[in-house]
Amino acid sequence: MVELLQNLIDGLGRGSIYALLALGVAVIFGVMHLLNFAHGELITVSGYAAFWAIEAGWSWTLTVPLVIVVSVLTSLVIERVAFSRVRGADQFTLLLTSFGVHFVVFAIFLLYVSASVKTFARPGWVTDTYALGSLRVEVYDTVVIAITLATLAGTTFVLQRTTFGLSLRAAAADFDTARLMGVRSDSVIRGAFALSGLLAGIASVFWLMRAGSTVPSAGIDPMLKGVLAALIGGLGSLRGAVVGGFALGMAEVLLRSRLPDSIASLTEGVVFLLIALLFIFRPQGLVSVDHAERV
Amino acid sequence: MFPDLRRDVLLPVAAGLILFGLFVGAGLLYQGQLGGQERLVTLALIDAVLVLGLQIYVGNTGILSFGHIGFGAIAGYAFALMAISPVEKAKRVADAPFGLADVHLGPWTSMGLALVVVLIVALVVGLGLARSGAESGAVSATVITLALLFVTHEVARNWPDLTGGDRAGLSFRIGGGLDSRAPLYLALLAAILSALLYARSRGGRLAVAAREDDLAARAMGVNPLVQQMVALLLSVAVVGMGAGLRVYERGSILPRDFFFNLTLVTLVMLIVGGRRSVSGALLGVAVITAGRELARRLGQDGFEFFGIGLDGAPLDWIFRENLKTVFLGVAMLGFMIWRPSGLLDDWDLDRWLHARLDRWRSRREDPQDGTRPELPSEVEPDDTDVLVVKGVGVSFGGFQALDEVGLEVGRTEVVGVIGPNGAGKTTLLNVVTGLVGSDTGRVELGEVDLTGMPSHQIARRGLVRTFQNLRLFGALTVRENIEVSALVASSTRQHRLPPDIDGLLLVAGLWDVRDRRARELDYGTSRRLELARAVAMAPSFLLLDEPTSGMSDAESLVMVDQVRRMAGVVGAGVVVIDHDLNFITGICDRITCLDRGQVIAVGSAAEVQADPVVQAAYLGSSAET
Repeated sequence: MVELLQNLIDGLGRGSIYALLALGVAVIFGVMHLLNFAHGELITVSGYAAFWAIEAGWSWTLTVPLVIVVSVLTSLVIERVAFSRVRGADQFTLLLTSFGVHFVVFAIFLLYVSASVKTFARPGWVTDTYALGSLRVEVYDTVVIAITLATLAGTTFVLQRTTFGLSLRAAAADFDTARLMGVRSDSVIRGAFALSGLLAGIASVFWLMRAGSTVPSAGIDPMLKGVLAALIGGLGSLRGAVVGGFALGMAEVLLRSRLPDSIASLTEGVVFLLIALLFIFRPQGLVSVDHAERV
Repeated sequence: MFPDLRRDVLLPVAAGLILFGLFVGAGLLYQGQLGGQERLVTLALIDAVLVLGLQIYVGNTGILSFGHIGFGAIAGYAFALMAISPVEKAKRVADAPFGLADVHLGPWTSMGLALVVVLIVALVVGLGLARSGAESGAVSATVITLALLFVTHEVARNWPDLTGGDRAGLSFRIGGGLDSRAPLYLALLAAILSALLYARSRGGRLAVAAREDDLAARAMGVNPLVQQMVALLLSVAVVGMGAGLRVYERGSILPRDFFFNLTLVTLVMLIVGGRRSVSGALLGVAVITAGRELARRLGQDGFEFFGIGLDGAPLDWIFRENLKTVFLGVAMLGFMIWRPSGLLDDWDLDRWLHARLDRWRSRREDPQDGTRPELPSEVEPDDTDVLVVKGVGVSFGGFQALDEVGLEVGRTEVVGVIGPNGAGKTTLLNVVTGLVGSDTGRVELGEVDLTGMPSHQIARRGLVRTFQNLRLFGALTVRENIEVSALVASSTRQHRLPPDIDGLLLVAGLWDVRDRRARELDYGTSRRLELARAVAMAPSFLLLDEPTSGMSDAESLVMVDQVRRMAGVVGAGVVVIDHDLNFITGICDRITCLDRGQVIAVGSAAEVQADPVVQAAYLGSSAET
């Protein structure tokens, strides 16, 4: 029982980060029908920003806003340089464009920084724990869960109560109709990338605090988590993405703690396999955006 | 007409030999005259086999696959486990399951068995893809292939008893390794010829039709899932062969050898050259191999590589190590942004040769000569089967789109279905052609019950439709569009005399544009092509969904004549939906009027127009009278 509760808290902490990443992926899929395999690059770029800032003597207090700003800007730049040029293209082009972005960012850091791991000091409290009854809870997990919930509440408010949120939801439901109704595609898409960058920025603060390092390929892992969680939730469904994120975090923690060591590292493959099976046996249930074609 | 020996067999073989010669020649020139590395050429030969395998699937079906290198891994391990001697295996995988520890087969037997293994896996994966509703550009299909890549990789890493694990892997020398290039040349030639001949084969053409428009292909009797499976199996066989050779040549296999890097490299090669073209796939391999090597050398030696003697210092910021990776990334992104269809798009050598030969021959012949075909004559219907729709009901959620709708059409009749917007006309056509399932009622053609049949089956039984929003196979030429349905007809409707394609082109007024691509046609011509494509199926009944929508009055009147003649050419009954009353009254023997999902009137044009219920429901509410 205690172990299960412990797993639950760990899972929530991990799931929070995945939920933020997945929501960013889902927002972009909503407005562009793009499954963004470059989403993790926001973490790569902000990881190097954090590394340089801390090496230059910045405190984490200053680094946090820097990481978030860098993530938002990177997201906007990527949209401007790459994705704005393939709007409305077929899935083939969209998917490979996002892979191309991933590849280029990776290569640039490989070329201009180095292939080796850059480490930086983590904030001291990351490993602290406190007792809650018979549980040991990490301060880090508590902070992550609290801030994620606040962020999700804020995002919900923006989506439900602002004109931008309404445009974004309308565009996610039916992009063409939304355009006809006067939603400006340019600003909605840019807004979506900014929002996605913001969410990824917050996620990457958490990610970097725990990892304490970055490499050119650092984006792959968070990208996979975000994409997988968004797929679990049904691509394009914002609520689904959040649920998918938490579900993925929870499943990972449970699998790792319950399965024997030798197969515990299979998790990513297992998740992929489960999603593939879902696609195969419930093709309608997973991608909520693929409406039936009108003939 | 098919297979046209020259167009579909001889020229592809000739083109394949030329491409093979050019590719190998370039490699030999590089290594001989320019003092290049032999290994680079060897690897390019193997890459070419892999990329051609990928092209067969991705190019013809339009489905982006990340999984082919996963198939490659399976073939590679299967090959290695069978070909390595038990003595070698005892060092790394002494406990190999399935009794593999004691197996020792010759390299080529192992290769063959490895292909069998990987084809069985491909069959299972292909069934999954089909079940997921894979079609051109489907995200779900791409995710499934990605899953295959990851699962294969993780199984390979975590099953050391089988694969030697993540670090050690399997390494070996099989009878002195691959010491001659002859097998590579043979494999490459086989891959090129498979890709070219497949693209021109019946299966390849139908797969491409489904790539261009899945729904229209189904309505022409094509089952896209079968064609995708054929493409998948052939492509996996070629990839498996390439992967086996890659393992053989390297003398080792590790999980990471067949993972993300190789996937990306092969994909970049394919898209840079042009994924829809076999020549393009080869060009892509050459360009990317050369570019990577150049980037590697520039990264290593700076600008001096050109012997200009320029000190590399000012350009140090770009010419440094790992430039090769940047090159790949930029190539991928750049092509997706500026030229997503690649250098050659769908240009292929054999088709170019064919067009050249045609032009050369027509120039030699007298242009006034009777090269224009004869107009086909009308034919009598071959049977008296009646199309009967009985009590069809469909509801979408709570909305009753059709309620107890019936319709009867004879083989010599033209029957119109009219009704205001939302009356259920298109839904009725969708039910009859199997695109929408009905809740109640039946659709019968003579003795045959068509209710619930998939749409391609219905098309093969003789109900062929057109679409309200044009659905042509855009990248195919006018003639190729018609050939798709003629191909299906030749195997599924042999009892009917198929119309002569040239004659059909002439009747439909498409003769002069027969070699233009369908997506370049103007609106009226596109409509005529859609009609001609349906007629080429030699249907028993033609079902036309708003054939005059978007046309002027004058064009509509021409369409009346057009529809009658085209139906006459194959002796088909006609069901036509339209808003245009002039057109409908001009063409129809009988009219059924629908309103809010129900039949409110049946009769001759005059009777229906005079019916007060119809006037109230439809004519009264529209300005068209």
